[in-house]
Amino acid sequence: MFRGFRPGKLWSALFNSYGFLFLAFLYMPLALIVVYSFNANPINMAVWTGFTLDWYATIFGGAGVEGTFDVAFTESPERIFEVVKNSFLVATTAASISTLIGTATAVALARYRFAGKRFYQALLLLPMLVPDIVLGIALLIFFVGAGFHLSLLTIVIGHVTFLSSYVFVVVSSRLAGMDTTLEQASADLGAGALTTFRRVTLPLIMPGVLGGFLLAFIISLDDVVITYFIAGVGSQTLPLLILAMMRRGLRPQITALAVVIILFSFAVATVGMLLRNRKS
Amino acid sequence: MDFLQIASVHKAYGTPEGTSVRALDDVTINVRNNEFLTLLGPSGCGKTTLLKCIAGFEDLDGGDLILHGRSLRAVPAHRRPFNTVFQNYALFPHMTITQNVGYGLDVACVKKPERNRRVDEALEMVRLSGFGNRRPSQLSGGQQQRVALARSLVLKPSVLLLDEPLSALDRKMREAMQMELKNLQHSVGITFIFVTHDQEEALAMSDRIAVLSQGRLQQIGSPVEIYDAPANEFVANFVGTSNLFAGKVVSRERERVVVETANGRRLASQDDRFAVGDSVKLVLRPEYLHIVGPGQGEPGCVLEGTVKDTVFVGSVMHIHVDVGFGRTVTAHHRHDRADDEPGIAAGAAVRIAYAPAAAHLIAAAGA
Amino acid sequence: MIAGDTVRSRRRRALLLLLAPITLMLGVFFLIPLGIMVVYSFLEPGLYGGVEWNWYPYNYGRILGWPLNDYEEFDPIYLSIFLGSLKVACLTVLFSLLICYPAAFWVSRMSERRKTFVLFLIMLPFFANLLVRIYAWLLLLRPTGFINTLLQSAGLIAQPLDMLFSNFAVIVGMVYIFTPFMFLPIYANVEKLDYSLIRASQDLGATPLQTFLRVILPLTAPGIAGGSVIVFIPALGNFIVPAFLGGSKVQMTGNLIERSFLQSRDWPFGAALALLIMASVVLVLMIQFTRTARAQARGAV
Repeated sequence: MFRGFRPGKLWSALFNSYGFLFLAFLYMPLALIVVYSFNANPINMAVWTGFTLDWYATIFGGAGVEGTFDVAFTESPERIFEVVKNSFLVATTAASISTLIGTATAVALARYRFAGKRFYQALLLLPMLVPDIVLGIALLIFFVGAGFHLSLLTIVIGHVTFLSSYVFVVVSSRLAGMDTTLEQASADLGAGALTTFRRVTLPLIMPGVLGGFLLAFIISLDDVVITYFIAGVGSQTLPLLILAMMRRGLRPQITALAVVIILFSFAVATVGMLLRNRKS
Repeated sequence: MDFLQIASVHKAYGTPEGTSVRALDDVTINVRNNEFLTLLGPSGCGKTTLLKCIAGFEDLDGGDLILHGRSLRAVPAHRRPFNTVFQNYALFPHMTITQNVGYGLDVACVKKPERNRRVDEALEMVRLSGFGNRRPSQLSGGQQQRVALARSLVLKPSVLLLDEPLSALDRKMREAMQMELKNLQHSVGITFIFVTHDQEEALAMSDRIAVLSQGRLQQIGSPVEIYDAPANEFVANFVGTSNLFAGKVVSRERERVVVETANGRRLASQDDRFAVGDSVKLVLRPEYLHIVGPGQGEPGCVLEGTVKDTVFVGSVMHIHVDVGFGRTVTAHHRHDRADDEPGIAAGAAVRIAYAPAAAHLIAAAGA
Repeated sequence: MIAGDTVRSRRRRALLLLLAPITLMLGVFFLIPLGIMVVYSFLEPGLYGGVEWNWYPYNYGRILGWPLNDYEEFDPIYLSIFLGSLKVACLTVLFSLLICYPAAFWVSRMSERRKTFVLFLIMLPFFANLLVRIYAWLLLLRPTGFINTLLQSAGLIAQPLDMLFSNFAVIVGMVYIFTPFMFLPIYANVEKLDYSLIRASQDLGATPLQTFLRVILPLTAPGIAGGSVIVFIPALGNFIVPAFLGGSKVQMTGNLIERSFLQSRDWPFGAALALLIMASVVLVLMIQFTRTARAQARGAV
């Protein structure tokens, strides 16, 4: 499309080497974590003393690693499993509810004419624009004041308030790209509003809905700040556990855990991208 | 008894600036059973809005739609016995051709054997048997068009609505589809309401044409009526081209009505629907004007002038003649290789004549 | 005609049904909490956490110097921390801009297939957990971290550099975290850039610098503005990055808010600080909205 832009060879080389540096800036820190996670040195991760899988064993549970590191700074596999379970429970629930709400809202704003549409459009942007910390403390004040017991439920509610907006944005863009005459054609051929939605609209926006769900899922799974304020004593999630571990000091176990998290997030993001690029 | 009545329908749209635009203003049409009715007009004239109102995609602001004596206002689109062929065909991209054509039957819960039989019939009717397992994206524009037709006709609607269905096709394909649609309408015996901005298409296909402009119905009638007796200046200019002379009726004797323009030019007509003193416009179609020799032509039906330029378009020659007072008249001179061409060239003095029956009168705008 | 039977009222019912969940959700769990937060900032802090329901504007007095009463005193540290946060947020915006702007041009010149892939690569780190990304920079910057170890073993430095717990570390961390936010709006803008305009400018005799300043920069300004706003807002209120990379040396308003809520349990004061952040955010958003509205109005004429 812009084949007309042909900077000289020197500029091309400059741009390409800059691009390489840019990607290096993005990936070097993450690559460093991966390398460190296999370093046997328990004191200084920057000094290589040999290859080990011990740190992964402390996460997934393995025999005979107890004595090799400072037990006081290590979380047990059971504890990690518990918070991972909490995280997944919250992320799955919050993403599902947000997907329903966000999709319904996107359909309403894309397919109906009504007064107050602009108000809704602005309102839906707000949760994404308000700084996390403000939303976090506002929810904390509200939950405590309204007598909610801080728990996984309050985390789910808190997440849904801003995740719905993300799903809304993703589904809206899919709806905007869809030909509305298809829905008219369906009605014209005798299908009611529900049948039209189920058989025409939904199949066509499905990649957007799934993409929105995945985005909501991963953001919920990763959320630190809002969860930090509205989590109760018994409702720790994985990011909160890592936060607590990082406050105690940098340990190889965190490094290994970080690698697992990176791999999982990247896998989900890749699936999301494949979904989005799939032509219907 | 009337079939489908479009009874003083009103529809307005709000604009972002807060004003409202009248998309349909008191439109009344009695649609007949089994006719091919065309809604003709320039873009923005309200023809597509009217079609959407009939289909049920838009609510009416006023007036009514009455089918067999029953109002359709409270009937949602999916319950109306009408089907639409959309401009872009609106074929479901995630379904096969068979699934597309069978969609209406499926949602109406038609039993499988009958559904399959009717889908096969419909595909056969549009000559697409054997394409059933393909996706819309694998078909050409003309084939998609025929799938859209089959998808609507399989439901045996009482009216088929067609929204500029031929506009996306190239010229050759469009002409072939015009004939095909016309024949299809005859064989299925369903009322077609066809929207187009192409007057040639409208004239070629329709039993009746309804001309719309700025949300108002300008005229409704057979193609010949619309062409030969346009109801007003808009129709005269939109359907075909016209030479118009504004003036007053100055005399009216038997079959001869004389119109005098402000410049004192007097032109005769046989159209006797106006009284002496009425402001009118005299319509002369270019093809009813003939170049004649000196002394020829009926008195009062001759214009004299000099040729400004000529445009040869194949079957005819468009001759632009300056007839004085800054007026230019266009005449279509039939081109015939066997004839001796008179000396028609820029600068030549010519006489143009017409038969008084060819001059049609319309009321002057605002009169 | 029966009112409940028209096409319009049927659609209205469906619309209400579709909008009900988001209205309830955002009304009850977003607007009301934000409203309560505003109210709290004007209430008296309770002795053991919580609030007394008394009109108490003095929370703001502690930050701004007015109004004050006998118990609350003005401490300029809060304002200086706020100004420091503004500075860090602005520098974060500036550096992410400098990093992302050339990168956007780099990507826009690629073939469609490569473009999709590289865009994906640029977005991907965003999906890695925030803490993980901060953790990576801790490993890089700390005295026994990767950079210092590398420099020391190369014999370039004798003592480890003090990079951690500084504005530098906080800004580097934030730039790293917010890079995708800055990159996308700029890229969307650069992608649309009509290169024939650049050639026209060169053709009319402009030097590369003139072309950049008078053609390229104005045309990509909307992307720059959009990216800056999207980075500025979360940077200003951030507390996780300064907590780890700034340590006790770099305090940002976010850290003060966190401490008022979870340690000193002075909620009204924390709420007042949060409103200070919100006010800045609203101000920035308003500037951006009027800017884009004006640009749109110009474009429509």
